[in-house]
Amino acid sequence: MPSDAGRSVIVRFCRPAVIVGVLSLAAVIGVYWYMALRPGTNPALVPSPPAILKALRDEIATGDLLVNTVASLKRVVIGFCIGASLALVLGALAGWFRYAGYVLNPIIDALRPIPALAYIPLVIVWVGIGEPSRIIIIVLAVFKPCVVNARAGMNEVAQIYVDAARTLGASRWRVFATVALPSAVPYFIAGLRTGVSTGFLALVAAELIAAPSGLGFMIQNAGQYFRTDVTIVGIIVIGLLGALLDQVASRAGRALTSWSDVRREP
Amino acid sequence: MNARADSVRAVSAKLAVRGLTHRYSMGTPPTELTVLSRIDLEIARGEFVCIIGESGCGKSTLLRMMAGLLMPSEGEVLHDGTRVRGVRHELGFVFQQDAVFPWLTVEKNVAYGPKSRGVPKAERERLVAHWCEAVGLTAFRKAFPKQLSGGMRKRVDLARAYANSPDVLLMDEPFAALDVQTKAEMQDAVLDLWKSTGKTVVFVTHDLDEAVFLSDVVVVLSSRPGRVHAIVRSTLARPRNGETRVGDAFAVAKRTLWTTLQQARGRAVAPAKARQAPPTTTERA
Ligand SMILES: Nc1ncnc2c1ncn2[C@@H]1O[C@H](COP(=O)(O)OP(=O)(O)O)[C@@H](O)[C@H]1O
Ligand SMILES: [Mg+2]
Repeated sequence: MPSDAGRSVIVRFCRPAVIVGVLSLAAVIGVYWYMALRPGTNPALVPSPPAILKALRDEIATGDLLVNTVASLKRVVIGFCIGASLALVLGALAGWFRYAGYVLNPIIDALRPIPALAYIPLVIVWVGIGEPSRIIIIVLAVFKPCVVNARAGMNEVAQIYVDAARTLGASRWRVFATVALPSAVPYFIAGLRTGVSTGFLALVAAELIAAPSGLGFMIQNAGQYFRTDVTIVGIIVIGLLGALLDQVASRAGRALTSWSDVRREP
Repeated sequence: MNARADSVRAVSAKLAVRGLTHRYSMGTPPTELTVLSRIDLEIARGEFVCIIGESGCGKSTLLRMMAGLLMPSEGEVLHDGTRVRGVRHELGFVFQQDAVFPWLTVEKNVAYGPKSRGVPKAERERLVAHWCEAVGLTAFRKAFPKQLSGGMRKRVDLARAYANSPDVLLMDEPFAALDVQTKAEMQDAVLDLWKSTGKTVVFVTHDLDEAVFLSDVVVVLSSRPGRVHAIVRSTLARPRNGETRVGDAFAVAKRTLWTTLQQARGRAVAPAKARQAPPTTTERA
């Protein structure tokens, strides 16, 4: 019923979490606004919220924002798909089959403590500063958390399900495909979610270094011309996009693990 | 006993356990723990056999070896006279823990075994319909296990084991985690399944009432290392129902089993005064 639905929306937005959350954000903006308006502050360096909104409108109007956002999204999606699929395949094999583990574990564990950004100089020297090097950096950044989580998930498969499948006549391969993989899905999702955010982080870093487009390029470029308002617009869009990607990953994950009775985060 | 008689017995038993010994090695430096020692058992076709013994005496270990999930240190398990060297679908297993796959619906759980063995789709569909009906879960075929109660999940587990055309069902304390009421319902369900299929059941439990209510034969194990202490044949009439549980014969049979179990634990039992010899036969193994 519409009236019921209306009420439930009101109830949802009257929760303490929402009210306090909005107030908390408003306070941060308020403090910033106050600082921006203080006499002696250079409005070019510390633009007021209305000035930032105007910059946002301008960036939308010229189409720059869209072009840069699309460029970044494309890189992160390509990098994520390559990095995540490699990581899931290798992590699942390493975590399940003993000899695959012997081969892959040393490599995974050696890569583990190295931040993906540390590869940037090497990638630039080897691959140059074109589009491939930016994608490679994202792939590396996505790969690490995904592979570690995938392997952990396969190590944690409950023996009881494996035994049950075996007594029902499942082959080794069928146990892998129908027991180990599905029961590790919650771990895969956790890895993918971390991968989305680390990939996004690496994206901005990669774009800060000589990119012709992208949100990283946009904020770097604006910074060089003291267009602080545009930089702030870029930062906000990066934040929103990151949150959006995380939501997509988390919703996809929830759909895939609807069978699980593990408590979900609110 | 001559060799010929011996081989004839091996063929007549559905499941035979011969000189089964099992040692786990654990710790560093590895020390060997003998869990089971020289177990001999013969289980006839269609029999309902319960195995009881105190916690840690090796009941699960014994059942896992019967299923081919675990290889014995010594001795062998014979199924229809052939040595069990690994799992086989004829030996169905129901675990104590919740072993229903939570990522599959009820009907997919039930179809899992047949699908593993390459049973064609139409036949699989028939098996699923039949076994879901047999355990009273037809209305829940599309449900996920998390939507079911503990007792219903155990029903899925039973249906899944029976749908895979086993000829022996090995059940390891399957109802230990259930409340009293649900447990009684499940015991009725398991007897129904046993009666309608005529398939051999080996049922591990540490619950005396359960053993008395279900069994044709109770194998009493002693502890550390586990040995066959006694084999007690039930004289309770069938069919068994709620009436059986409150009858005098039940109380007497339970008393006998309790006494035997106390002896298996190495505890002295004061003879009950003026008690008649119980109407059950107890043979020391
Ligand atoms: N995988 C194992 N490794 C080492 N010891 C084990 C293992 N499984 C069981 N045990 C030991 O073997 C004994 C018998 O275990 P189990 O067969 O589970 O007994 P029950 O089912 O009768 O309670 C116990 O003392 C237990 O600690
Ligand atoms: Mg046990």
